[in-house]
Amino acid sequence: MANQFDVVVIGAGPAGYVCAIRAAQLGLKTACIEKWSDDKGKAKLGGTCLNVGCIPSKALLDSSHKYIEAKEDFAKHGIKHSGVDIDVPAMIARKDNIVNQLTTGVTGLFKANGVTLLAGAGKLLAGKQVELTKADGSVEIIEAANVVIATGSRPIDIPPTPLTEGLIVDSTGALEFSEVPKRLGVIGAGVIGLELGSVWGRLGSEVVVLEAQDKFLALADQQIAKESQKIFKKQGLDIRLSARVTGSEVKGQEVEVTYQDANGDEQKLTFDKLIVAVGRRPYTENLLATDSGVNLDERGFIFVDDHCVTDVPGVYAIGDVVRGPMLAHKGSEEGIMVAEIIAGQKAQMNYDLIPSVIYTHPEVAWVGKSEEEVKASGDEYKVGTFPFAASGRALAANETHGMVKVIADKATDRILGVHVVGPSAAELVQQGVIAMEFAASTEDLALTIFSHPTLSEALHEAVLAVDGHAIHIANRKRR
Amino acid sequence: EEPILSPAARRMADEKGIDHAAIAGTGKGGRVTKEDVVRHVEEGGPVV
Repeated sequence: MANQFDVVVIGAGPAGYVCAIRAAQLGLKTACIEKWSDDKGKAKLGGTCLNVGCIPSKALLDSSHKYIEAKEDFAKHGIKHSGVDIDVPAMIARKDNIVNQLTTGVTGLFKANGVTLLAGAGKLLAGKQVELTKADGSVEIIEAANVVIATGSRPIDIPPTPLTEGLIVDSTGALEFSEVPKRLGVIGAGVIGLELGSVWGRLGSEVVVLEAQDKFLALADQQIAKESQKIFKKQGLDIRLSARVTGSEVKGQEVEVTYQDANGDEQKLTFDKLIVAVGRRPYTENLLATDSGVNLDERGFIFVDDHCVTDVPGVYAIGDVVRGPMLAHKGSEEGIMVAEIIAGQKAQMNYDLIPSVIYTHPEVAWVGKSEEEVKASGDEYKVGTFPFAASGRALAANETHGMVKVIADKATDRILGVHVVGPSAAELVQQGVIAMEFAASTEDLALTIFSHPTLSEALHEAVLAVDGHAIHIANRKRR
Repeated sequence: EEPILSPAARRMADEKGIDHAAIAGTGKGGRVTKEDVVRHVEEGGPVV
């Protein structure tokens, strides 16, 4: 009976491990399968996010930001030093230690909650049976009352720039450079490209980011996107839009990239390293037996309904392997929803209020609808903005770039979107998320007391500005 | 107009199978709070 479970989760990333812990908390006999292992054959938990995604990239973003701040901004505070230097291997080692600490932490949480960890590759067979293939090649069949697929995603590779060991890399390789590349190319000006470009740019790389789309951060509010682009340009990121990469040639230790610019003219650039960050795709390799009954959609995602139920009752899929934004917190919340549904609760998830964050410095973050989306909906709306340049707290912190933007429905005053580029953008947007979960009006936030001096006041002022009541900037004349 | 429920109110109403529109909201602009749902249940309000 050892291989019978109430819930078998395939994948131990932020969606899968959270689902497994929640299921165990709810009294379900739960197993979690993970095939990723370290060189000693021990299962690596935490998935992409902990191992090669969110956490390591943030560790490097923070380290590199401290360096650039010491190098460029300390003098403004009257702090003198005789020069700062970086030790890239030490920086990478610190990141690796954090990753280790967190992945070990998940192992501990599994133990504490009574989740059975099964190391190996899981495959869904018919009848909710899961075939576990262990590292030594042995195979075991597990009977599951419920299966949760959380197999995640992997970077998309594109034909013009095939990955080449240590030279043309994906996001994983870009977290492992042992020295700062002099000339760094990044394909894709999305979240991953901007974050990795920022890390190495701060450490001294000349960075060129090639983006095929003609709009910068097409999913963000375009006023915030334009403001962000201006700030990144000042930081030295050479972002080229409408740049379609058509080919690459490895020449010794260099790579020459060919792309078509906005005018359709062919351009060539030579880099010491090239990062391919064009996006991620769902990962379902060797996951489904032909008669599993689970279907994929036309883009390769596992087909699910609003409750993450697949075409097979009792089989769920969550996280990057299903529709919706590929974000850790989206996957985790789906994991919690599914565990609770399995336990008989009526859980649901609010897909309208999933915040997005880009951890550049300053950060870019948003929730809800952009002005472009609201405009397209045809409803009348109102907008309030507030620049950090007018924030006392931001001035004290020498963090004056960026702004807060709040969009509200004109008729009901309900907040529709909060968009920020600037210091602690993610935290300010989170305040917006909470308010919006309670369907707050701008007046609700206007009547709320915000501490002074704090960066949060910029949200307060932007909310006040929606109806022309901002105190610390001249309000636009009402028409 | 769809009534506006707080996250906890929404969850509780769904768990108990209560029609959102049947709950009297006491929050700002008629918003339904978790307390409103509790009261609705205690007073034996209609359940779908």
